[in-house]
Amino acid sequence: MIPFKKSLLLPLLAGMIVFSGCSAQGQATPDQNGSGGASSTVSGKLSFYTSQPEEDAGKLVNAFNDKYPDVQVSIFRSGTEEVTAKLQAERQAGKTQADVLLLADAVTFENLKKDDLLQAYKSPELSAIPTDLVDPDGMYAGTKVMATVLATNTQKVTVQPTSWQVLTLPESKDASIMPSPLYSGAAAYNIGVFSRTDGFGWDFLQETKMNGMSVIKGNGAVMKAVASGEKSYGVVVDYLVAREKAKGSPVELIYPEEGVPIITEPIGIMKEAANVPAAQAFVDFILSEEGQKLSAEIGYSPIREGVSPPEGLKGVSEMKILPGDAAKLAVDRETDKQQFINVFGE
Amino acid sequence: MEKLKRNMIVLRGQENGRKSVFSLPSLFRWNRLIALLGAIAVLLFFVYPILKLVLLSFQGEQGLTLSHYNELLQQERFWSTLRNTVYIVIGSTVFSLVIGTALAWVVAYTDIRHKSALHMGIMLCFILPSYVLTLSWSSFTGSQSWLAHVLQWIHPDLAPWSMYSMGGIVFVMGIHHFPLVYMFTLDVLRKIPRDLEWAARAGGASRIEVFRRITLPLALPGLTAGGLLVFLASLDNFGIPAFLGTPVNISVLSTLIYEEIIGFGPSAFARGASLSVLLGAAAVVGSLLQWLLLRKSHASDTMQPDLTPRYELGRMRKPLAFAIWAGLALITIIPLSSMISMSLKRAYGLGLTRANMTLDNYRYILFENERVWQAIQNSLVLSLVTMLACLIIGSGFAYIRVRKPNQFNKMAELATAVPYTLPGIVFALSMILVWMEPVPGWNPGIYGTMTILFIAYICRFLILQIRSSVTSFMQLDASMEEAARISGAGFWRKWTAVLLPLLLPGILTGGMLVFLTALTELTVSALLYSSGSQTIGVTIFSFEQAGDTLYSTALSSLIVALIAAGGVILLIAQRWATRKGVKS
Repeated sequence: MIPFKKSLLLPLLAGMIVFSGCSAQGQATPDQNGSGGASSTVSGKLSFYTSQPEEDAGKLVNAFNDKYPDVQVSIFRSGTEEVTAKLQAERQAGKTQADVLLLADAVTFENLKKDDLLQAYKSPELSAIPTDLVDPDGMYAGTKVMATVLATNTQKVTVQPTSWQVLTLPESKDASIMPSPLYSGAAAYNIGVFSRTDGFGWDFLQETKMNGMSVIKGNGAVMKAVASGEKSYGVVVDYLVAREKAKGSPVELIYPEEGVPIITEPIGIMKEAANVPAAQAFVDFILSEEGQKLSAEIGYSPIREGVSPPEGLKGVSEMKILPGDAAKLAVDRETDKQQFINVFGE
Repeated sequence: MEKLKRNMIVLRGQENGRKSVFSLPSLFRWNRLIALLGAIAVLLFFVYPILKLVLLSFQGEQGLTLSHYNELLQQERFWSTLRNTVYIVIGSTVFSLVIGTALAWVVAYTDIRHKSALHMGIMLCFILPSYVLTLSWSSFTGSQSWLAHVLQWIHPDLAPWSMYSMGGIVFVMGIHHFPLVYMFTLDVLRKIPRDLEWAARAGGASRIEVFRRITLPLALPGLTAGGLLVFLASLDNFGIPAFLGTPVNISVLSTLIYEEIIGFGPSAFARGASLSVLLGAAAVVGSLLQWLLLRKSHASDTMQPDLTPRYELGRMRKPLAFAIWAGLALITIIPLSSMISMSLKRAYGLGLTRANMTLDNYRYILFENERVWQAIQNSLVLSLVTMLACLIIGSGFAYIRVRKPNQFNKMAELATAVPYTLPGIVFALSMILVWMEPVPGWNPGIYGTMTILFIAYICRFLILQIRSSVTSFMQLDASMEEAARISGAGFWRKWTAVLLPLLLPGILTGGMLVFLTALTELTVSALLYSSGSQTIGVTIFSFEQAGDTLYSTALSSLIVALIAAGGVILLIAQRWATRKGVKS
């Protein structure tokens, strides 16, 4: 009997090692108690993919770490379109590497949802967030309100414009610049909204092109060109302008009278997330009052009711918004990008 | 002799099959096994990726198709990219050839002073990573630079020439690559026998005629090979067009492939692959031409380079020296200082005054952004491991290649040259394709980790080490080994006491080259990096793309300081080595 047992012991052990290795392959079970991992016991690695500027993402992560010191967050930052392309590549390579995503707009998340890359999570913090800026299925929720505005260089532009149409007029000939929808999610959203809004459409975009509109990769690069005076007018997200202005750059921020497209930089958890408790704690933190106050300090207009916007920016209730239908724009995003290539000829 | 005898015994052992109980046949089988493993490794790492890439470019929904190429040829964007690529490559090659050849002529033939310092100064343009040079020039000619202020002060309408243009890309690429031409030509010129020139002069030919009928024809193969080298380097370059061209919609083939893959993800793999095949084919044709030309000019290999000056500059010596030094300062030192001053600004649109100066950008990248630290650490680990792996594998292979040259290892050497010959972006794409799914249905899960970067770096830079080591072993006569063995030295003693001291300088030069190239690499890592595996080059590139120029210039300035420190250490080490009597 005993020798027989001994002979079994080794293969059994080997089998156990193999199987425990398999189950440790990161199929974490979601937190079932609904508290969303609010206990301080979350730990381990958390992979955070975002399109936010490096510095802002870093500040969020540091504040999160003050609360949850045992989570090591690694950030991957690029333009929204590049981050989604990367996720698709990772999916093809076998497994997506991200736990949490924070990208430009709801359209991007609609597409990810359609591809079945997200998992639902209804954070307890959602009670203080406007319901129309949250996915009803709980796949993603907005984290801030960000308008695309006109930025001008005050050394070059003496009379501040009040309308988007300035981009088609002689005063901005060869002096305006916008981000590329092939790279920036905000820009892709704006193209979708402008091309479907009465009084604008592809014709308006075509006219800006004829007027010498330059296209550069991201919003940061647009801001740089306007701040340095290389260009006089820029189409750019609001917080960047407010921030540069506060630093002392010669720039001005204008909300045109026709209205502004807004994006909400939603956050969502990946279906294949390896560390769900930490991901949920991260989402809760970003949406909490503390996280939203920090976001306002960094310079974003907050999405949570009861947190006031930073100096120089309008809150969501004060803006005139150019509406966009996320589900519809999601279906058309690739064709919009192709159409943009046709009009702007790359 | 000894080897031959052993081989004979081995062969006989093989004939006798299993009858022999000596260890030699087993040793032979051992050798066979190593050769087999080596062959498999070469096929897997060097040949298979390229095959996969070519295959994908012809793969359609059902079977083989030309549709991807068809689609490309229909696109206006592809043709404009092709045009840009041709202009930029030709323009920068011509530019490099002119400057490089002129400087090589001066250093090779005249009695200008401080040649070794001049040599170092010229090499600086090439040692600096292309993106650092690019950032220097874009800050030097930016609308906020002091150059712009000076020009405006002269005349209100004057503005510096924008680097964000075709001309700018050609110019920066030219100054980055001319040292390649210079290095190549210097050697060619020094090997032209002066007695031929003298004979022609004695026969009554004028200086111009001598140059036209003697010097030029003899130097031509070498010059053309140097030109092709720059052509290849320009095709391969991704950093310069990515930093200067992308913001103004000027794409070249390498940046177009990058944008397709990064912007559209896997749906663009086939398009990227067909673009890559075209770009790769251009590079392979260029390399073949170069190789043929070098074979033609093989005759001069036996010549000793002649280092004595052939032309007295006389009164022109000082002005010419001053002009050259001023020119070198203008293309490197001044733009560099402009980049450093940019990194000290408080906000981008401001002039550089006392009130606007700050060290905040440095504080941020060093103490507030963990990703920068991670990147520096990653790059250091990557380049160290790559260097060590290449030292061991490359030198081992080089030893076999020199001591037992045969068809098989000649082919292997050719295969290992492929990843370096191909433009980096093409190679990186082939790596993604292979390591996503090496065998259908099996994912090793290394895409998006550091592992794929290790594999890619080692594959790409191995040939640099092989070439250096082969050169080292070639210079060492086999008689040295025999002498050591005859004197009773064992394997270990033979290597440590005799061979290594003689070989080390050459091998280590190769290792240093691999280390430096890997440390500042951008192209391959731009396609292969992921969160946690970013490299220094990628971090600078990301900052720049996001419009954080103050951070990208700060990090670049730090890298320049690192390279400078490394250079000083290397110089001290060389001094020390020569004093110890080991000559490289």
